[in-house]
This record gives sequence, C-alpha cells and structure tokens, in this order.
Amino acid sequence: MTTSLYRLDDFDALDDEAFRALARAFLKEHYPQDLRNPPKRLHWDEIRCWYMTLSAHGWLAPGWPRTHGGMGLSAAKQLIYMEEFEQFGAARMPDHGIMLLGPLLIRYGSTAQQQEFLPKIISGEHIWCQGYSEPNAGSDLANVQTRAVLDGEHWVVNGQKIWTTLAQDADWIFMLVRTDPAARKQEGISFLLVPMNSPGVTVRPILNLEMQDEFCEVFFDDVRVPRENLVGEINKGWSMAKALLGFERIFLGSPRQSANALERLKVLAQHVGCWTEPVFRDRYARLALDLADHKALYEHFADILRAGGQLGPDISFLKLHQGELYQRITELMLEIGGEAAAGLEPINGNRDLNPAGQFLAARASTIYGGASEVQRNILAKNVLGLPG
Amino acid sequence: MTITAERLEGARMIRESAAGIADRGDVGRTRKLRFSETGFDRQILKEMCDLGWLGLRLPESDGGSGLGMVEMCALAEELGAAIVPEPLIPAALAVRVLAEPERTAALEGRLVVLPAFQEQAADPDAAPATSVQQGRISGRKLFVPSPRGADAFVVTSREGSFLVRSDAPGLVIEAVTMQDGSHSGTLVFNDAPAEKLPGRLEDGLDDACLATAAYLLGLADAVLERTVAYLKVRKQFGAVIGTFQALQHRCVDLKLQAVLARVSVEDAARIADTNVGIDERRAAVSRAKARASDAALLVARQAVQLHGGIGFTDECDIGLYLRKAMVLAPAFGGSAFHRARFAALTFGDSAEASPAPARTA
Ligand SMILES: Cc1cc2nc3c(=O)[nH]c(=O)nc-3n(C[C@H](O)[C@H](O)[C@H](O)COP(=O)(O)OP(=O)(O)OC[C@H]3O[C@@H](n4cnc5c(N)ncnc54)[C@H](O)[C@@H]3O)c2cc1C
Repeated sequence: MTTSLYRLDDFDALDDEAFRALARAFLKEHYPQDLRNPPKRLHWDEIRCWYMTLSAHGWLAPGWPRTHGGMGLSAAKQLIYMEEFEQFGAARMPDHGIMLLGPLLIRYGSTAQQQEFLPKIISGEHIWCQGYSEPNAGSDLANVQTRAVLDGEHWVVNGQKIWTTLAQDADWIFMLVRTDPAARKQEGISFLLVPMNSPGVTVRPILNLEMQDEFCEVFFDDVRVPRENLVGEINKGWSMAKALLGFERIFLGSPRQSANALERLKVLAQHVGCWTEPVFRDRYARLALDLADHKALYEHFADILRAGGQLGPDISFLKLHQGELYQRITELMLEIGGEAAAGLEPINGNRDLNPAGQFLAARASTIYGGASEVQRNILAKNVLGLPG
Repeated sequence: MTITAERLEGARMIRESAAGIADRGDVGRTRKLRFSETGFDRQILKEMCDLGWLGLRLPESDGGSGLGMVEMCALAEELGAAIVPEPLIPAALAVRVLAEPERTAALEGRLVVLPAFQEQAADPDAAPATSVQQGRISGRKLFVPSPRGADAFVVTSREGSFLVRSDAPGLVIEAVTMQDGSHSGTLVFNDAPAEKLPGRLEDGLDDACLATAAYLLGLADAVLERTVAYLKVRKQFGAVIGTFQALQHRCVDLKLQAVLARVSVEDAARIADTNVGIDERRAAVSRAKARASDAALLVARQAVQLHGGIGFTDECDIGLYLRKAMVLAPAFGGSAFHRARFAALTFGDSAEASPAPARTA
C-alpha cells in the first residue's frame, strides 16, 4: 500500500465542501488527461491504470465500509464523489463489482465469500460482469432459464446470458440462475458467482448500434462451479438482487449525461451558425429548462438519501426523464447538424461535434436498466396505484 | 386531379418489377455493401438502368420512358422499403441534363454520372458561387452522394450546368464515410476542365427531393412492418409483447405518421404531374419532404426502442434503416428547411423571407 495524501482514516470527519475539494484535487492530480470524457465505454486495458490508481489510494469503493476496504462514505459524500467524478469527465469503469456485487456480498454473503471476493475487487484482481438478462428474460427478468443443478459439491450451469456489458474483460460473472424450475418464477432463482475461465464458458462480443463491442453473449455449457459460490439462501436470489437496487438507481438518473449533451449541442449550434437563431434558441431553452428541472428532481431524491432515507418506486421518474431528455437533446443535434451530422466519425474529427454518435449512443438509455415502458408500468402501478 | 386507372396500373407494375432488385424482406445485400469502396453495386445499378429506371422521367425522344412523378415515387418507395444503396435518385437527376453520347452511356449503365450542386449546408436551393471560365470550373461542392462510384459529375455553376469527369485534373474528391456505410463527397474544383450541358440541373432538384421523400416513406413503412412483426412473436411476461396496449398505441401513432407521409407524397406527386405554378409544386414537395424526413427518423428510432436490447445491436437490421434515415432525412433539404420554404411559398406575407439562414458545415 502506498501512502497517499488522499488516504484518510475518516472521510466523514471532513465537512462536505472539504470532501468535495479533496475529490477535485485528487482527480486533478491523478486522472489521466487523455481519458477525460471518452466517446465510448472504455475496455479494461484502457482503464486499468485508473482503476489501479483508485485502488492504490483507497478511493475505489466509496460506498463500502472501511472494514472491507471501502471509503465508508455517508450517502451525502457518495453523491459528491459521483458528482465530482462525472463533472470531471472521469470514464466509467468496469464497476459492476464495486457498485452491485460488493454491496450484495456485504449484506448477504458469507464471511468466507466476503473474505475471498471483496479484497480482490479492491485490488483489481477480479473484474466482474453482470449476468442477469437472457434472450427470453429481458424486461421479464424473472423468467431467467439458465439452470444450475447440484451435482455433489458442484453446481452444473447450462444456459445463456446476453447483453452482458464488458463480459469479454471480466474475470468473474455474478448471475441469476434457476435452481427450482417447479417454483413460482421469482422463487426459484439463485445468485451464483462463476469464474469466466471455467471450462464451458464461451463469450461472444456483440457489436452495438455504435459499432462498439461493449456487450456480449455468454454461453454456459456444463460449467461446474463449487457449491459455496452460491450467495445467500438458495432460491432467494431474486429478492436479494431486487433489494440491492438502491444507489445505482439514482446513478442512472444523474443529470450529467444530459448536461454534457446540452453543452455539446451548444458547441454544435455555434459551429453550424444557428446558436443565435430565435427558433433554435427557443428549442434550446426548452431543453435547458428541462435539464434545470431534472437537476431539481435529482436533488429531491438525493436529499432523501442524504437524510438516510430509502428511495421509493417514484425514483423511476428520474431514470425515465433522464433517458428521454438525453435522447431529445441528441435528436436536436442530429437535426441542426444537417447533411454533415450523419457521418460515421465526428465532424472535422472534433469529438465535441459528434451528433450521430451521440444520437445513437442515447438510444440505449431508454432500454438498459429497465426500459422506459417498464418504468412507466412501475410508476402506474406503484406510484399512481392503478390496477394491473 | 385524379390519376387515370392506366397510370395507376403502370405504377403498380413498376412496384412489381422493383421487387426483383429491391427485396423488402431481405436487406442482406445492403448490409454487405456498407463501407465498401463505392458503397453500392455498379452491376445492380446497371440492372436498374436496363429496367428503364434511370430514364423513367426522361422524354421518350431522349431515350427515356416519359413517365411522371407518380411512377417515380412508386419506384422510389420500393427502393426505400428495401433501403437499396444504389444512388438511383441522384443519378436520375443528373441524367436529365446530359448530352450525347454521355446520356445514352448513362442510360445504359455504362457511365455513372452524379450531381454536385450544393454549396451551403442545409440549403440545397442556394445559388452556386462556382464559376466557369473558358471551359475551366472552379468552386466547391458539398454532400455529393457516392462520389467514389461516379465516372463524372454534373456540376452547377453561375454559368449553368457542366459535366466534369471524376479523373479531371484540378478536381479533388474528399469522401467521408456516412453512418449508412455510403460516402458523402466534398468536391473541390480548381480550373478543372468542364463541358457545358444543355439543361439546368436545378430544374430537376424538386423531383429528386420528392423521390427522396418517397424513399423515406418506403423506409418508414418497411421498418414499422418489421417492428410490428417482431411484436407479434417476441414474448415477455408470458405474452407476445404486441398484446401490451402501451406498445399497440405507440405503433398506431407511428403508423399514423407513415400514413400522413404517404398521402403527402402522393399529393405532391400528383401536383408535380399537373400543370400548376412552380410555387404550388414546390410547396407540395416541401410539405412531403418535411413530413417524410421526420416520419422516417421517428419510426426508425422508435423501432429500435420497441426491439429492446436487440435493437441496440449492429446485427439487427433495424439499425440499417435508422442509419439510412439519418443520412437521407437532411438530403435535398431537411424538415426545417422545407417547413421554412413551405411557409415562404404559401403564407403570402413573407415574400422576402429566405428559407434558412446561411450555415457552415
Ligand atoms: C447498452 C446495454 C447494456 C446492457 N447491459 C446489461 C448487463 O450488463 N447485464 C445484463 O444482465 N443486462 C444488460 N442489458 C440488458 C437490458 O437490461 C435489457 O435489454 C432490458 O431489460 C430490456 O430487455 P430486452 O432487451 O429483452 O427487451 P424486451 O423485454 O424484449 O422489450 C422489447 C420492447 O417491449 C417493451 N416491453 C416489454 N415488456 C413490456 C410491458 N409489460 N409493457 C410495455 N412494454 C413492454 C420494452 O420496453 C421494449 O420496448 C443491457 C442492455 C443494453 C441496451
């Protein structure tokens, strides 16, 4: 372990503004300049250096308790951490281990599992991917069909996952598997940890709409996994996975993506010469007001977390609005960009002038993490109380 | 004005003959040609010529079929439904002003001639600054489709339309790759040899614009058709997702836009084939192109959404329609340009209004 100015024993001893300043200084000193605001999701070989820097300074896992190598930040400081990282343009990391698996193991894992896996996330030895979705279990996630059958001291896994983000870079996958086909859908699912180098695991990257190989299909063919890799109780995987949808739900609704896009829309408008046109200004102002109100909505939910509260089903409003706002901003980019907008590469090779790339990238934000239609269903039932 | 039964039958036959080349059920050929050297298949373009498509609008005395925009739109719609990559619409614009022997060579598919007219972004109507002196042309043209597949270009200038060979000294072609896998060219002429042509390319721009609207209409209808078909087989929550009313209503709204685009394009084609004033004709074209551009983009991006994760892949054909719509929605003027032009032409109180302020690209 290196000694570091930024490694504190008690971050919560700092007041929020002091912590914010510390986070800024840390990023400024350590974040690789050439990785600021990357136009695509980075692969492990590109982002590894930053992951290891965070690890070396103890800044990798803001939400984990200190006993497990985290920063032990309060909810308020976790939000500051996230905001400052986004604001700085720090690239998203392969963070499934940190954001999803870590908290789940801390809450439901055995001591042995915690001791085995948590340090290796912190050290960068294990990079994790999330194996939930399947060809026939997308919006209807409880329909997962990948089977795990106990054979002596091993689970034997057969089936297929899909849309697994960065599976090709991962050492391990945490997955939902069906362990009781006879039970009600949600009640026969378990949570299993599987090494990606197990015999019988095959990964096929899929080119996405941006023509990047960000997500994959993962096939399991008689994959044998030690019995102790099942987390929590058998057939309780569904409720564990659901219970964990906490912090990352506000993360998916962060205003940063739209804020960045709106900035770029302005740069593009200046480039094409319509920035001062009244019709354009009205449309831009509309989006700017949407963004301002989105930020206020975000703060409303952030306040709940800061006060130690739990997010309710209405957090779906935040994700719904973020995804659609981001899309509308990029649609206006495409429109004002005119004939030059639909190039495969950014205009004049300038990354800030990339209407087509942003327009296509934005298509995903209403699909992943629960599609907008599904968010609306949740809101209709659980917030408005409509039947069905 | 109504279209005679005979012409409607003719248009139907053109659609039928199009099915051989433009298969709306299989866009594999389009996928294969993406990002290739020229972005299209010259042999297929020749087959289109053999079917008489290139000269569809040319008078019979000039070696064409002497048909109208009703027929041309019927054809373009089929091409759009199969998102064919061959630049038939631009080539059909260029051929109208060619002289012999190039005209016959083009009509027979031996010579690929494409138009180069635009000098300002988002304004296809702006008068050219390109000029010709003593048979030498100088200037700069933007957004020339499929420039790597052309043997020659018809270039507009202050002195009229000229033919410039693609290998002419003094011509530099810079091609950028587009999202749909085609190319868009910037042509820089520096005292390049140019041959004067009898006609004015500008006179055909509205027809090409309307044909592009028809192409986008075909695209919108086809991508919606595929999406509806998917909704009938994709199951989640123990039901085909097409049973969910939220999705049914969405599809109906999309179809409504496609239906409006259809009547708008059909109206404009009928008007174009009638002896009406130029302004009425242009207003109708603007109306159709504004509608078709927006409808095609809307339907194609909703098609991605309705497909879920699979829609966000390059393997899924839906993306091919979306990318083509992204490229063609602004071609020959995007919806904002055409709304402004429509207003300038029809509101009666803004004779001075220019369609759009100058833009750079
Ligand atoms: C970029 C990206 C990254 C992803 N990364 C991961 C990952 O790392 N790990 C992982 O496990 N998954 C991942 N996913 C998968 C994602 O969670 C699913 O794509 C999503 O849940 C939708 O499922 P689906 O693709 O099967 O679409 P479907 O469920 O088939 O949906 C198709 C359409 O039907 C609509 N629909 C479905 N049900 C209803 C209903 N009841 N009412 C109304 N409309 C409905 C949907 O909203 C959608 O428009 C990723 C997806 C994307 C796009």
